[in-house]
Amino acid sequence: MANAVVELKGCTRHYGGVRAVEAMDLVIFEGEFLSLLGPSGCGKTTTLNLIAGFVEPTAGRILIDGEDVTGLPAHLRGLGVVFQSYALFPHLSVFENVAFALRERRIPAEEIARRVGEALALVQLDRQGRQRPAELSGGMQQRVALARALVYRPRVLLLDEPLAALDKKLREEMRDELRAIQRSVGITTVFVTHDQAEALGLSDRIAVMSRGRIEQLGAPREIYERPASRFVADFIGASTVLRGRAVADDRVALSPDLTIRVRVGGILRVGEQVELAIRPERVRLAAAGEGTAEARIEGLVYQGAMTEVSARLADGQRVRVFVNEPAPMPLAPGQIIHLRLPADAFMVLE
Amino acid sequence: MKLLLAPALAVIALFAMALGCLFQYSVLEFIPGSLKTGGFTLANFRSVTAPQYLGVIWDTVWLAAATTLLTLVAAYPVAYALARTGSSRVRSTLLVLTLAPFFTGAIVRTYAWILVLGNAVITWPIPMLFTERGVLVGLVHFSMPTMILMLAAGISHIDPLYERAAASLGAKPARVFWRVTLPLSLPGIVSGSLIVFAWTLSAYPTPALLGGGKVQMIATVVKDRGLDSFNWPGAAAFALLALAMTIALLAGVARAGARAA
Amino acid sequence: MLKASVVALMAFMTLPTVVVMVVSFNPTAILSFPPSGFSWRWYVNALTYPQFQRAAVNSLWVTLGAVALALPIGTAAALALERGRLRLPTLWATLLLSPLVVPGVAAGLGFLILAASLGMIRSRAVLIAAHVALVLPFVVRSVWVSARNLDATLERAAASLGATPWRTFRRVTLPLLRPGLFAALLFAVVVSVNEFVVSLFISNRLTEILPVAMYSYVVNYTDPTIAAMSTLFITATFLVIWLADRYVGLGRVFLHHR
Repeated sequence: MANAVVELKGCTRHYGGVRAVEAMDLVIFEGEFLSLLGPSGCGKTTTLNLIAGFVEPTAGRILIDGEDVTGLPAHLRGLGVVFQSYALFPHLSVFENVAFALRERRIPAEEIARRVGEALALVQLDRQGRQRPAELSGGMQQRVALARALVYRPRVLLLDEPLAALDKKLREEMRDELRAIQRSVGITTVFVTHDQAEALGLSDRIAVMSRGRIEQLGAPREIYERPASRFVADFIGASTVLRGRAVADDRVALSPDLTIRVRVGGILRVGEQVELAIRPERVRLAAAGEGTAEARIEGLVYQGAMTEVSARLADGQRVRVFVNEPAPMPLAPGQIIHLRLPADAFMVLE
Repeated sequence: MKLLLAPALAVIALFAMALGCLFQYSVLEFIPGSLKTGGFTLANFRSVTAPQYLGVIWDTVWLAAATTLLTLVAAYPVAYALARTGSSRVRSTLLVLTLAPFFTGAIVRTYAWILVLGNAVITWPIPMLFTERGVLVGLVHFSMPTMILMLAAGISHIDPLYERAAASLGAKPARVFWRVTLPLSLPGIVSGSLIVFAWTLSAYPTPALLGGGKVQMIATVVKDRGLDSFNWPGAAAFALLALAMTIALLAGVARAGARAA
Repeated sequence: MLKASVVALMAFMTLPTVVVMVVSFNPTAILSFPPSGFSWRWYVNALTYPQFQRAAVNSLWVTLGAVALALPIGTAAALALERGRLRLPTLWATLLLSPLVVPGVAAGLGFLILAASLGMIRSRAVLIAAHVALVLPFVVRSVWVSARNLDATLERAAASLGATPWRTFRRVTLPLLRPGLFAALLFAVVVSVNEFVVSLFISNRLTEILPVAMYSYVVNYTDPTIAAMSTLFITATFLVIWLADRYVGLGRVFLHHR
């Protein structure tokens, strides 16, 4: 069992009348990569700021390695922070930026030179030491920010949407590099993002947040395949939500003539209204026949590797389907298609 | 954080104390021939309304207004060039030439006009030195840098795209200026005019040296009474008048600006 | 046409300067144009005139003292305005800039009366204090503009890297405030050196600064010594402005760049 590095106990943070973070309990374990994922305003950056010590909680405590640091100012917490805007000191060279924390710790000059060299090599910028941040591209600046935060081997690395300012290709490259570096260094990492693809791809665990609270905390696969609430189901990945009434513990009637089979571990109560979610990539196009539902295509959005199909079932409810290209049959609006909805692909929403 | 503000506030407090002394003395009785003062009196303020002093006040106001208007007209072309020029060399030259008089000090600049206006360089058809005309010229010259800078700052905030849009809609350059540039530069005009007017109301060295005692403005009266006659109460009343006029001016324009916003 | 009028106006603005410089080399006290010869005598006179020498030294001390006080006080105030999360920042700002609004004669007379009532009439301390008050708004303005452009995240970054608030100020904030501080220094020196009206009221022949000494001279004498003095002043000023424009780019201080 890994030990807890960071613990938030009952942390609340108010800004005037706004509750940015509400009674949050969170434990972060040694060496893990934890993402705080959510839409803007959900409190993820505030949580990060609380851990870093930039803001104080209105209530609750924060512990690092078992020690209560709630009142401790940021410059005494020994954490590493990478800001969204990188916040590289414009008047200092790359070398001096990375060396900053070491100079604060009065480390002798030769050791500083050695360690900065190592840090820059880690992010593949060993030849840019003399340059100023303004002369570097966005991707390079981000790497300098990372090197600066890692060079003094902080206890925890905090990243506030570090990839947000990069373009798509660069973002994907940096994402992989980031993960590789984190694994090789083994540092406990907290990563704030609103991009679920990033969170899913990078994290050991994800905390999905909404309105100051954690909606669900778990491994990426768990979050994706078994969302605990409608919010999580909506926020992570796309989904179709179907409404119906449970007529048996494995059957839901969407309408008098449309019943579907579901396998959700027997949690259905007969007669109850229920909301089911299913991921569009699990819905399959099939030939007409037993176990399929008929639907009329309303919209098609070609996406290159797949086409997003929006179709309406007989009872009027909409279904989203991701069809891999090349599609098994030509598709056009107005066309009738038959959908196979795998019973075990459904998730029951609260 | 508030501690950081404290020393500055202390300085302002000292300044306020100086003004407080003005208020205090303005209501004390002047005893001629000494610096001691008598009791409470409003005589100093009443003396302000004496005809000769009312004349001075009127002269001051009209001189300030004339200065402001002339300076505005003269400064605008320079300000426009400064704000709109593409060449950094032109901008630098204009800036240096504009700022330099600013920084050479009142005495130097006024003395320069003593020379020019005093028939040393050219003989004027009409007397210039020691007349109101001369003082006006000196005041305009003095106010040019300030007006140029305030106008230029205002004009540089106008997006050139507006002028381009007007041109594309068929307006000739002169029309573009009247209907687009000038109105949009109004904030700069107002702030520049306001500062020049307020300053000119209280100007001292220019009227003192170029007027040679024949042109009196509020500031020269304060100096004469205060430093030469030692009539501190009387001078204080006049100084407060200048202060009140300046503040009223600022308040009035601030309110006009707020209503326009 | 714009160009022509601008040239004419700039000529108007620089004409007096040119005349002064020409006159300063006039060989005789009686001015004539064009000048009848060339002479350095008025420069010699200006530089050896004891009252000017005394006044120059006074100017040096007063300006030095005023700037040494006003820079840190004004910088602290500007930082407080920008970062201090004050409740009524505009009120404080207006207060700090208020000396700009007060007419010179009013401030001068006020300080004179204040000094008299404190028994410190015509002391150098009052002179320096008055200069600090007059120079402070310029310092606050200049530094505040720089502080506003300072990214607050940089200070947080420094804290996260272990720098105490003081170290953050020294290593990050101060260096980045340099343009504003330089402008503040420039303004402070120029305003103080040229300050005339208030200083006229609160100094005497022993303590008076250069502009006041020059005023006394002009009122009493008509020879071109002042022209020489003025030329020296103008040359020094031009040099300072030119250097400032090359080093910092005065355009940035005064104009809004697109």
